[in-house]
Amino acid sequence: MNTLLDRLATDFGIYDISDRKPAITTLKVEKQQAERLIRELRDREGYTHLNFITCIDYIEQGIFTLVYMLHNYGDKSTLGVEVDIDRENAEMTSIHTLWAQAWTYQRELREMFGINFPGSPRQEEDFCLEGWDDIPPMRREFNTKTYSTETFGHREGRVSEDPREHMKAQLYPTRGGDN
Amino acid sequence: MSLKDLLSPFFVWQRAFEKPWTNMRPIEERPGAPAYRGFHINLADSCIGCGSCHSICQNEAIDMVPVEEFSGRPGDSGLRPRFDYGRCCWCALCVDICTANSLHMSNEYTWLARDPTDYHFTAGVEEKPWQDSELGYHRAEGYHLYPPKRIDMDMLTADESVQSFDEVVNGYSEEQAKLEADRCVECGICVATCPAHMDVPDYIRSIRDGDFETGLQLMYRTNPFPATCGRICTHRCEEVCPVGITGQPIAIRWLKRFIVDQVDSIDYARILDSEIIENGHKVAVIGAGPGGLSAAYYLRKKGYSVTVYESQETGGGMLRYGVPSYRLPDDALDKDIDYIISVGVDIRYNTIIGKDVMFEDLLGEYDAIFLSTGLSVPSSMRINGEDHPRVLSGLQVLADVARGKDPGIGRKVAVIGGGNVAMDAARVSRRLGADVDILYRRRISEMPADPEEIKESQEEKCNLVEKAIPVEIMDTGSKKQVTIKWGEAEMVQDPKGGRPRPVLQEDRMHTETYDCIISAIGQGSNLDFITPAVQEQLAIEWGKFTPGEYQRSELEKIFVGGDVANRTADAISAIEDGHHAARGIDRFLKPGAYAEN
Repeated sequence: MNTLLDRLATDFGIYDISDRKPAITTLKVEKQQAERLIRELRDREGYTHLNFITCIDYIEQGIFTLVYMLHNYGDKSTLGVEVDIDRENAEMTSIHTLWAQAWTYQRELREMFGINFPGSPRQEEDFCLEGWDDIPPMRREFNTKTYSTETFGHREGRVSEDPREHMKAQLYPTRGGDN
Repeated sequence: MSLKDLLSPFFVWQRAFEKPWTNMRPIEERPGAPAYRGFHINLADSCIGCGSCHSICQNEAIDMVPVEEFSGRPGDSGLRPRFDYGRCCWCALCVDICTANSLHMSNEYTWLARDPTDYHFTAGVEEKPWQDSELGYHRAEGYHLYPPKRIDMDMLTADESVQSFDEVVNGYSEEQAKLEADRCVECGICVATCPAHMDVPDYIRSIRDGDFETGLQLMYRTNPFPATCGRICTHRCEEVCPVGITGQPIAIRWLKRFIVDQVDSIDYARILDSEIIENGHKVAVIGAGPGGLSAAYYLRKKGYSVTVYESQETGGGMLRYGVPSYRLPDDALDKDIDYIISVGVDIRYNTIIGKDVMFEDLLGEYDAIFLSTGLSVPSSMRINGEDHPRVLSGLQVLADVARGKDPGIGRKVAVIGGGNVAMDAARVSRRLGADVDILYRRRISEMPADPEEIKESQEEKCNLVEKAIPVEIMDTGSKKQVTIKWGEAEMVQDPKGGRPRPVLQEDRMHTETYDCIISAIGQGSNLDFITPAVQEQLAIEWGKFTPGEYQRSELEKIFVGGDVANRTADAISAIEDGHHAARGIDRFLKPGAYAEN
């Protein structure tokens, strides 16, 4: 594994290599190198299986981190290839040409995070959020609570008490605060 | 058509009598996975009703509702979460945030009811078949949505601290304070426990917002001694902080101090001052300790003309003369007191009631009086030889040091007692270069002193001797020394169920000679300044007042508070007594202003 990582560092400039769990290693690569690296891993290094593609929203840094999880059935090792992309107009090379099923993940990422994968099949279609009319819900600026308050019905007669106010009323009604 | 085709329908019918290959009731026989996020389980007895589940729920599926059997438990709001399964999406954020670790999910996922209102229940209070399920989603060990450990406070090491009277605690930096403030779940359970009911979650939020002026305003609503309490408060709030159940409580006291330290006293007037509308009433306050000055501050804010009578040369009471400067530097205390004076409180120092001013004159001259004279008389050990000149009182030693006077303790000292005065007298003695033994009649675990004082005094190499009962003080023939005879104690269970009692073991006696013995076994009051006729009308038990509603005594004009009128005898209780008496005096003198009357 170390020889492989050394070579990838030279050939693809991978960085931030870390062992997350036994047999799971993650590494980072620049967006421009990502597709070439993944292809190399699939075709020459035995990482023939795409476990999944997922995304983490680092809103504070203005980036999405895409994670391509690849598996090697030969030595049972797993590699997580991480790619940082801009949050604004987020776009990434499609890898449906490498694994046909990748388009499903890419369609989901488009729906949940708003990331574009030009050329990926059926990108424009709804995936699980039929009729969704808001910003992609996994983007962290999406306010789940506000959305749920405005969208879903409320049961009649529900009341909730604030712990602090309830305790004041019960235990020290004449104390505390401006009086 | 072949014969087979002709007969095939009959072969199919034959199957109807065989055991089916499919499960008849698949739902009952297919339990959820072991960590499935199914229906909620709340261990209602461990839950403290902090409402974090309610706050974090993105679907507004959780209400906090009162449950009678949990009402009034300390550190417990008496509320419990009620789940609306019409809105729940089983994301388990409520389980992940649960401070008490009482909320889990079972792996049960089927519940059939005809009435949709049934899917609404108070977990752990209403009986449900899954309540005792072991399976289902539990928060993983060590997994927290907030850091369970508090931000370490930068302190002098014990070796450094005994070298001087410099403040031991350095205070948080802004970065540290914000990180610590970030751990608060804003439940507000602490507000009930704080004797002054300070707006803790709100001022902690002001740190997160970087708005320290709002923080200061919030603190002054309930406490005009924030610089002081930010250092030496007994911080009972932290004992009930829900974050402390599975981690370390928020450092509420240090955060309070942080806010005060950010604001220059020059800016106090601009931030805090509001117009004072004189109401023409006059109130006298006796004692310029935290209780008296708190009453004075809040009365002044309500428009009263307030005169404080203080026997000592400066204000602060026990905060000034009883708390050493390494815990509470004078400039921090002065920051609080100077602002109280600046709103127009008149303090008459060096004025002894009963000598310089007569109590009955005050009764005639003022519309109301607040008494907060504290506990200033050292309790007696009641053993032979106690009046030996080398037996000093802890209070006197601390007061001398506070005034910059040498208390003359020598190089080898025994401190008798296990309270904060004993710990402070011992730690002061270490700073004056003495070796210190602390003799305490019970076990260390039973010492009434704050745990951190006990810990720090041990770190500063005070030698704690537990289960040591003083028996006799003896003269050595030298004017500079004194001998104490003390015996070991055995703890004996109280048959009535009280706390174990130390019983002297006559055969295990020790004698030791010291340069002085510092007695610090407690304090009593001195109420001689109150004329006997008035004393008779006040309910005084064991030298302490027993105030009624709004700190009022039996006499309608006299309100009482502070150590001389409460059991807790700490600064924050005195501050609340003063504030509450101010509310009471305002209700007494302006009865029309309150709807409740």
